Amino acid sequence: MKTRAIQIEHQNFQLHPRGAVYWEAQQILLIADVHFGKVMHFRKHGSAVPMEAIYENFKNLNQVLDYFRPKRVIFLGDLFHSYQNMEWDLFREWIKERQEAYMLIVGNHDVIAAEQYEALGVNVEEEYTLDSFFLTHHPETKEGVFNIAGHLHPGVRFYGMGKQKISVSCFYQNENGLILPAFGAFTGKHLMVPKSGDQIFAVVGDEVIPVQLSP
Amino acid sequence: MNRKELEAIARDWFYEQGWKPFPFQRKVWTAFLQGKNGLLNAPTGSGKTYALWVPIVLFHLQKLKKDNKKKGLKAIWITPLRALSVEIKQSAERFLKDLDLPFTVGIRTGDTSQKERAAQKRSMPDLLITTPESLQLLLASKNYQNTCKDLSAIVVDEWHELLGSKRGVQMELALSRLKAITPGMRIWGISATIGNLDQAREVLLGKGSRAYHNSVLVKANLRKKITVRSIIPKTMDTFPWRGHLGLHLLEEVVSIIRKSKTTLLFTNTRAQCEIWFQKLLSAHPEFAGEIAMHHGSINKETRIWVEQAIRNESLKAVVCTSSLDLGVDFAPVETIIQIGGPKGVARFLQRAGRSGHRPGEESVIYFLPTHAIELVEAAALKKAVKHQVIEDRIPYINSFDVLVQYLTTLAVSDGFYPDEIFPEVVSTFCYQSMTREQYQWILNFLTRGSQSLQAYDEYKKVEIEDDGLFKVHSRAVAMRHRLQIGTIVSDAVLSVKYVKGGYLGSIEEWFVSKLKPGDVFTFAGRNLELFRIKQMQVLVKKSRQRTAKVPSWMGGRMSFSSEMSDLLREQLYEADHPEGRPSAEMKALSAIFERQRRESIVPGKDEFLMESFKTREGYHLLFYPFEGRFVHEALGSLLAYRLSLLSPISFSIAFNDYGFELLSDQEVDVERLLDNDLFSTDYLKSDLEKSLNASEMARRKFRDIAVISGMVFTGYPNKLIKSKHLQSSSQLLFEVFKDYEPDNLLFQQSFIETFQHQLEEGRLQLALERIQQQQIIWRPCNKPTPFSFPIITDRLRAKLSSEKLADRIKRMTAQYDK
Repeated sequence: MKTRAIQIEHQNFQLHPRGAVYWEAQQILLIADVHFGKVMHFRKHGSAVPMEAIYENFKNLNQVLDYFRPKRVIFLGDLFHSYQNMEWDLFREWIKERQEAYMLIVGNHDVIAAEQYEALGVNVEEEYTLDSFFLTHHPETKEGVFNIAGHLHPGVRFYGMGKQKISVSCFYQNENGLILPAFGAFTGKHLMVPKSGDQIFAVVGDEVIPVQLSP
Repeated sequence: MNRKELEAIARDWFYEQGWKPFPFQRKVWTAFLQGKNGLLNAPTGSGKTYALWVPIVLFHLQKLKKDNKKKGLKAIWITPLRALSVEIKQSAERFLKDLDLPFTVGIRTGDTSQKERAAQKRSMPDLLITTPESLQLLLASKNYQNTCKDLSAIVVDEWHELLGSKRGVQMELALSRLKAITPGMRIWGISATIGNLDQAREVLLGKGSRAYHNSVLVKANLRKKITVRSIIPKTMDTFPWRGHLGLHLLEEVVSIIRKSKTTLLFTNTRAQCEIWFQKLLSAHPEFAGEIAMHHGSINKETRIWVEQAIRNESLKAVVCTSSLDLGVDFAPVETIIQIGGPKGVARFLQRAGRSGHRPGEESVIYFLPTHAIELVEAAALKKAVKHQVIEDRIPYINSFDVLVQYLTTLAVSDGFYPDEIFPEVVSTFCYQSMTREQYQWILNFLTRGSQSLQAYDEYKKVEIEDDGLFKVHSRAVAMRHRLQIGTIVSDAVLSVKYVKGGYLGSIEEWFVSKLKPGDVFTFAGRNLELFRIKQMQVLVKKSRQRTAKVPSWMGGRMSFSSEMSDLLREQLYEADHPEGRPSAEMKALSAIFERQRRESIVPGKDEFLMESFKTREGYHLLFYPFEGRFVHEALGSLLAYRLSLLSPISFSIAFNDYGFELLSDQEVDVERLLDNDLFSTDYLKSDLEKSLNASEMARRKFRDIAVISGMVFTGYPNKLIKSKHLQSSSQLLFEVFKDYEPDNLLFQQSFIETFQHQLEEGRLQLALERIQQQQIIWRPCNKPTPFSFPIITDRLRAKLSSEKLADRIKRMTAQYDK
């Protein structure tokens, strides 16, 4: 597992190939778009998506938490895909065992009531500003602060000699902010159209690779 | 009344119409009335409809004499195309009316209104004309057993069309159920000529079944004279080496259109159809109002109008796709033009048969090659027509997705007991080798969504009642299933409408997704500006702009049949050693062959040609097996894989019907390639499985499988259903299965289908065996050869790599938007 260090506004961040970002000075782990409950939502409606994908989400979460041992975890929205289902029970049992502080910044998919989260010790916020960083679900621009967000499930397509093409998930940074890849195992990606000067970090297997842009 | 008397009634009716029954019609009447099942082999326009309507009606006439008329469904006529149902109904009614019989004929297809459906539910017509999907829907309705209990006959029209498709499997399953609930029912199929007619009968009736033993094959044997003429330009200098449009021969086409009363121009894709129509009009504005266009995405009213106009002889020419291949009889059509290779002999013959319908008349079909090498195809087709070489239609085996759909259908209506249904299912051709374990897997999939009971699961679809009945209780599941039954073709389709209202047709989502508002595209012969996309509707305005994008619809790519490729190779091998006088096509090609010889060679019977050269794009390796694009896709990926084992390398693979190309950013050591016996048939399957390409292709196959088995809900055309949270792409689902449940039968089916239907494993084996008998000739060239040109310019490509993904990406770049 190889993380990649980047600097934003004189702060050190680590990008993890599972799709999480660690803010060193604050000891905060940022995770976007887990979409818990999506697999079960499909299964409830007669579409037999493998249950294993549910456990994979927890496995990956445990992996990044063990790696960084953060003090706090902030979910940048779309933690749950839909209404409560049995995945919520799994989540509740999982979070009971955790020691870190948790916060959820509400995303468009998050329809589960804030009280339900609060009861589990998860703070629920619309947005959150810390230092000169502005954390949201939808990417936003705000004067004087750097935005970190999710929502888009960014992906990037590569072109090479011999007419090769590959697309993978990525961390996507431009002048407005940083967008995290979707963390969930059953999520998919949206291909971005990069602009000159954008910085992209592709998630490739167990590595995070900076992307070269060409006209 | 005995059989002879009944047949006399029909014969007299024929004479009254001024007709005389053909021997094949009388044979079918007799066999049907003797209680036999069967397959009738007869072409369109031969009187096949009356071969079967007549005995069905006679049978009930006889019953009518015995006791009073009973209400309810008596016979079902299945047609794969809704468009044909009206014509079939008219034929039946004409006969009924003249005999003054009190039977009603009804139609039930996707076009039938809700009101009419409800009326039919209360009281079924005596004779029902319907599609395979609507028959499934009938099985999905309550009390279907009661509805069908007095069925005496079911006729499956155009069986050859259904045979090689999953709709054919749907039919097999429906028939297995109907056979069980109505033991006296006769089953008849009607098929155009295909290579495997005997097998077609076996698939229809069930392998080794009682129904099969009590059946006959009746052949119409109406041989017709077909003349093939190639359109060859006066000089070959301007003849393009590549391309698929053929517009350089537009004026030649115009003069053929002028000479004939009505001409049908068959194109291979809907995009080609749109472009030809536009170009004809802009080059010859005087044709306005006299030419029309017909393809599957154009709205129904326009299509019906065009079909009617052909019959009225009010059109000079119609540019069309396979949408006019089937059914509907057009007596006034005099001339057929095929633009580009038809890829198969059967399809070509069927199209040729669209002209000169009157008995004894000759059918003329012009072949228009879109690039030079296609002239070889023209010569090969002539031979095929002469020797009546016709392809097989390969039936599907173990299509678990269709079985999942069918069992859900039964669970939605009255429910089913697995032990009662199992023997019916394994009596079909498709599932003859299915094991009890596989059946159990499907049942678990339906009831638990997995093979083991899991904690924290809320999967819900089919439930098991206390007495063991499998039943769907959720109304939402039932509704979604009914909506989904008709969607065996699965790319999301949006309807195209004017902002001010007015429906133009339907278009595939992936094309629209590439457009921005304000972009102009050609559709239904018009240049349209995209206004916006709203709720599965594409809203457009008329545009005055001249240039526009043309949608290239998916599914337009077809491959040579093996019969066709044999003929093609034969034709090509003769280039250097003509047997007898060379054909006009081969003569026209001589300049290009000359050029090919200068750069490389034209391979003979015992030679297998390989070329290599370098361009700005990278290092090209070209191979020419002449086996059709599907085999080439497989061979290309196989060879790329085997080469990549020698050293880490990435390829992009292009292919057409003549050969394939491996393109790389590294030079390939050809000597090493030749030394390592890369065309070996050893480990064929496992090598193919490992080639990344198989998984890419399986992913494409999985799309249909996911939709048919109900794992992906696509919504319903023209109806907006709130299911956004349930939408997921089959792509995503494929990835999830690959990572977490690779032993899933439906996931595995996507690979099996890839090997059997896409890669044509059997043909691949034969091709490799043939190549091993040939001498491999490798030609390093300085520049692209005429043979290579159409291949290296193809943009639809597959990929294969043995390098680590990270290593590849480090050498690649992403493009930014300028």
